[in-house]
Amino acid sequence: MTITRRFLGKLALGLAGATMLMQAPALAADKPAPFDKPGVKIALVRYLSTGDFFQAYLSGVEAQSKALGVDLRVLDSRQDAALQADMVDQAIALGVQGIIIQHGLTESMKDAAQRAVDAGIKVVAFDVNVENPKIPQIEQSDRDLARLALEQAVKDNGESWKAGYVYVAGIAPLDRRNETWVDVKKKFSGINEVAMFGTLDNPIANSVANQARSVLSAHPDIKVMFAPYDEFAKGVKIAVDEAGMNKDIKIYSADISTSDIAAMREPDSAWAATAATNPAVVGQVSVRALAQLLAGEDPGHNVIVPPTLITQKDLVDKDIKNMEDLSAKLPQFAHADVAMPAWMPNPNAK
Amino acid sequence: MGADAVFRVDGLRKSFGQNEVLGGISVELHAGEVTVLMGANGAGKSTLVKIISGVYSRGSGSMQLAGKVFDPQTPAEAIRAGVVTVHQNINDGVVADLDVATNLTLDRLSGKGVPTFFNPARVRREAKAVADRMGLAIDLKARVSDLSLADRQMVAIARAMAHRPKVLILDEPTSSLSSAEADRLFALIDRLREQGVAILYISHRMSDIRRLADRIISMRDGVVSGVFDRKPLDYEGAVNAMLGRKIHLDRVVARNSAHPVLTVEGLRIAPGARPISLTLGAGEVVAVTGLVGVGKTALAETLFGVRRPLSGAMTLNGKPYAPGSTGEAIAAGVFLVAKDRGENGIVGGFNIERNISLPFHRRMSRFSVLKRRIERATARRQIDELGIVCRSEKDEMSALSGGNQQKVMVARWMAQEARLFILDEPFQGVDISARRDIAAKLRASADGRATLLFVTELDEALETADRILVMSEQTIVGEHRNADIDLERLLAEVAGGPLHSAA
Amino acid sequence: MMLRDHAIRYGFIVLLFGLIAYFAVAADGFVSPQSAVFIFQSVAITGVLALGVTATLVVGGFDLSIGSVATSAMMAASYVMVVLEQNAVVAVVACLLIGVLVGLINGWLIVYMRVPDLLATLGMMFLLVGLQRIPTEGRSIATGMTMPDGSVANGKFSDAFLALGRHRFDFFIPNLIPVSVVVLLVLAVLIWFFLEYTRFGRMMYAVGSNERAAELAGAPVKAYKIWAYVISGVFASIGGILLAARLGRGDIASGNNLLLDAVAAALIGYAVLGAAKPNAFGTAVGAVFVGVLLQGLTMMNAPYYTQDFVKGVVLVVALVFTFALSGRGKR
Repeated sequence: MTITRRFLGKLALGLAGATMLMQAPALAADKPAPFDKPGVKIALVRYLSTGDFFQAYLSGVEAQSKALGVDLRVLDSRQDAALQADMVDQAIALGVQGIIIQHGLTESMKDAAQRAVDAGIKVVAFDVNVENPKIPQIEQSDRDLARLALEQAVKDNGESWKAGYVYVAGIAPLDRRNETWVDVKKKFSGINEVAMFGTLDNPIANSVANQARSVLSAHPDIKVMFAPYDEFAKGVKIAVDEAGMNKDIKIYSADISTSDIAAMREPDSAWAATAATNPAVVGQVSVRALAQLLAGEDPGHNVIVPPTLITQKDLVDKDIKNMEDLSAKLPQFAHADVAMPAWMPNPNAK
Repeated sequence: MGADAVFRVDGLRKSFGQNEVLGGISVELHAGEVTVLMGANGAGKSTLVKIISGVYSRGSGSMQLAGKVFDPQTPAEAIRAGVVTVHQNINDGVVADLDVATNLTLDRLSGKGVPTFFNPARVRREAKAVADRMGLAIDLKARVSDLSLADRQMVAIARAMAHRPKVLILDEPTSSLSSAEADRLFALIDRLREQGVAILYISHRMSDIRRLADRIISMRDGVVSGVFDRKPLDYEGAVNAMLGRKIHLDRVVARNSAHPVLTVEGLRIAPGARPISLTLGAGEVVAVTGLVGVGKTALAETLFGVRRPLSGAMTLNGKPYAPGSTGEAIAAGVFLVAKDRGENGIVGGFNIERNISLPFHRRMSRFSVLKRRIERATARRQIDELGIVCRSEKDEMSALSGGNQQKVMVARWMAQEARLFILDEPFQGVDISARRDIAAKLRASADGRATLLFVTELDEALETADRILVMSEQTIVGEHRNADIDLERLLAEVAGGPLHSAA
Repeated sequence: MMLRDHAIRYGFIVLLFGLIAYFAVAADGFVSPQSAVFIFQSVAITGVLALGVTATLVVGGFDLSIGSVATSAMMAASYVMVVLEQNAVVAVVACLLIGVLVGLINGWLIVYMRVPDLLATLGMMFLLVGLQRIPTEGRSIATGMTMPDGSVANGKFSDAFLALGRHRFDFFIPNLIPVSVVVLLVLAVLIWFFLEYTRFGRMMYAVGSNERAAELAGAPVKAYKIWAYVISGVFASIGGILLAARLGRGDIASGNNLLLDAVAAALIGYAVLGAAKPNAFGTAVGAVFVGVLLQGLTMMNAPYYTQDFVKGVVLVVALVFTFALSGRGKR
């Protein structure tokens, strides 16, 4: 249970896209079969649902479904792997044409997904590998997240600095982000990691702040803190502020939320930049990829939603205060040009 | 008569370490007879029962069942041989979460030759047979935990009887039953007696004994002190033999009191009990005596505000007194040295000093902050007063002997002036010298307050009190000035004889 | 025998100083006023919780709900300021009320409903973990957040409230001692004095050691037990206030780690000065002990799991001190 909650917390991103719900469906006549007529039914079968990230993801799925004029059924197993598999069968029985599998365990979902495919239903999967060539995998790219943040760090600080790194091994997204960090250290020999720390004891930010304070007193010469998860970054920022070192250190992270925006916008904030994928966009892309399959198009086996780099300067210059502003003023964050054939309605279009 | 004894114990001895608990006991039980075993606490009754039922091994001596040597190594062996015991704690005899039918046949669920699979129909059939034989009118499907205590007791006995024993031992079976419930139990025992079972019945309750006994065996200090089997049974003689009568070397000079401190009118402490009325005067020491379970502790706790009386009124110093809590009682000047000091008195985490100051924190503090100097001075004074043997007032309680622990308990409550000072079994587990010290201290300091002792041992009352009240069946049945006591009458009252008018 | 007595009495304090000496040599920058203050700051929140749970341990109880009380208080403070747009005083009062209320309910469940303490407070823990999510449907609370009904919460953490987590008092060195450390020290002294020197504290120990004896000595035992849970609840909510002030937002969290660290500190406290019982001074020393360890280990780049390991070792050693060496493991 703890691991899962940590996992949820880890992914706690800001809420976006709720305002996108109020869209009129585009005209049905423009679209290929089966979307030329109303009445297409799809199902979203969820494993995880509590937390900001999942709320935002759902709102993206709903917005895109509405824009397409499809009938969306949401089946939520609340972290019950067996129930989630049953729910796929339930969806098959409901007579849906398409299913989005959101998270889950490979072991329990592989067979269920295969049964859906056998029943002639189109399936896409987000963040769970169902090991099926007929099922496109929707992914946010953790490697790209880390790469964007670190490129910005090199741009801001040059190729030679002492770094503190926050990392807890064994959490898949963090492990993928770590691969990029290892590559970057190899590429730039001037980057010297003097301290690695991290913990998932909750409240995470508080625990990380305690650790970061110790690290800062041991290594006051650290210039850059790489904290590729926003809870980590928050903790580091608290420690940096408490140590009065906010002008000497820059923090680079991944993920974003309204409170993260506030923290980055503070005067002399050490939090320089973060890279993030908008969970609402991921939700939209999931539906679009499924729609492409239903229309007989191939979205590709790996549908990757690209992240966006968000710098302190962007936030200040464009006066972005919360996630809504972020979507409105950074268009690349509000919309990804992925799985976007010409006929596909854009839920963000006013 | 001795020839047809179905069960016979000869010269049984048992020691625990240095301590000889049974010093050569011989007992006979006859088929179709209820033999009552009486004995004060520590007389060795339960040791005897445990040897017979195979819990303890015997030291020396022999046992015979129906002419054959009986030497059980385990309780199960005793049961198989036909000697079944229903222990005092009812819940040891039944499994609360199972239904009655399963309980009645439980012993057949394990052992040799039992089918591996549980067959509910067979269980119910067998249980019904057992219940019918016992005349048991209880729903066999009911869960035991839903039954009343009496019904549970019946089930426990019926369960024991399912073994068709030759000898049935009942250890204080009515101790937690009401009188109506007890009547049902007696009817059951009558039935068993008719079926020819030899029954050993252990009890303090005179009413039970009068109702059931065919013979009485009294025990005292590990030996049989009397066997009574001539009708009509000599109940007083049995109590006498059980309590023993020593020559009292230190008789007290009984005092009279003119000023009443506590007056009790029509106090009823148990349903169905006759009301209690008594007056305690300043300067006198009054002892209440009676067998275990006659309501002594209930009366003490009622006076101290631990429990409420069912009816009646109390007056303390001329003012109505109805304590709603122990705190109120203490504030009114009524103190209680509770019995079982380990359970009710000693705070194990505290040293002597803190144990003594416990009830009087409010009086020893200013703005709720304890004045430690006063606390220490009080403790030292009390240690001196009662002659508590210790290194200092900082000693842990566990370092003290039983007698000194009890002195600390008494010292605790003598640290402040009481109006009514109650002591419940203050000499329990106390050696003779500590007992004398405490008694002397109580008498020496008795001026100005009423002192009330509750003791089971008659000797203790005779040694300490000016006046002796006798309790039986939750009420006071006799009063004696401790001078030229008519011991015959007193013992008759203890044994629950014809009721004399209460004080 | 004397040696053994001394080992029991001073062993843990010696261990603490030994540890400090070791880190002073092994870790650069460990010895400095800032570092010392920081150790206190890092344990301030768990320390406050530990002092509260000490009160329940004293009466022979236990409170598993303190972690979730703290995080619930944090959520409540955030909700009051961000969503209801109230000031710092209202937020603090709301938190304290939550602490009192949870304490009363815990006490009522345990004393009047006869629910065993561990089970009652476990239930309360789950209840609070769920309850703190209901007002925002599981979202964390921060300025500008979108509410379930689609509106945007525009209130913000007041500066006065944030000062509770960020202000520092001058103490020889300017801006040295954070508010949270002052709160920890004040509460530690308060509860220590309360337990050791007032008649209420003394009676609480009596209740914990022999409830029946305390009752027969005139103590309203039920009231004492309920008060202990109220103290625990209030201290936990104060911990939650400090947490909210430090983080500046309301994060959904179970607070389980706060609970475990607090309980560890209180149990380590049993061993301090050979007390072999829950005591406020020991709890404070226990909390600092854990703080020193974590600070030193982190400065030496030890990964987080070794820290849990070391925490566990310290706890086990402390319990051995308490129960085996002092031979007082009766309870």
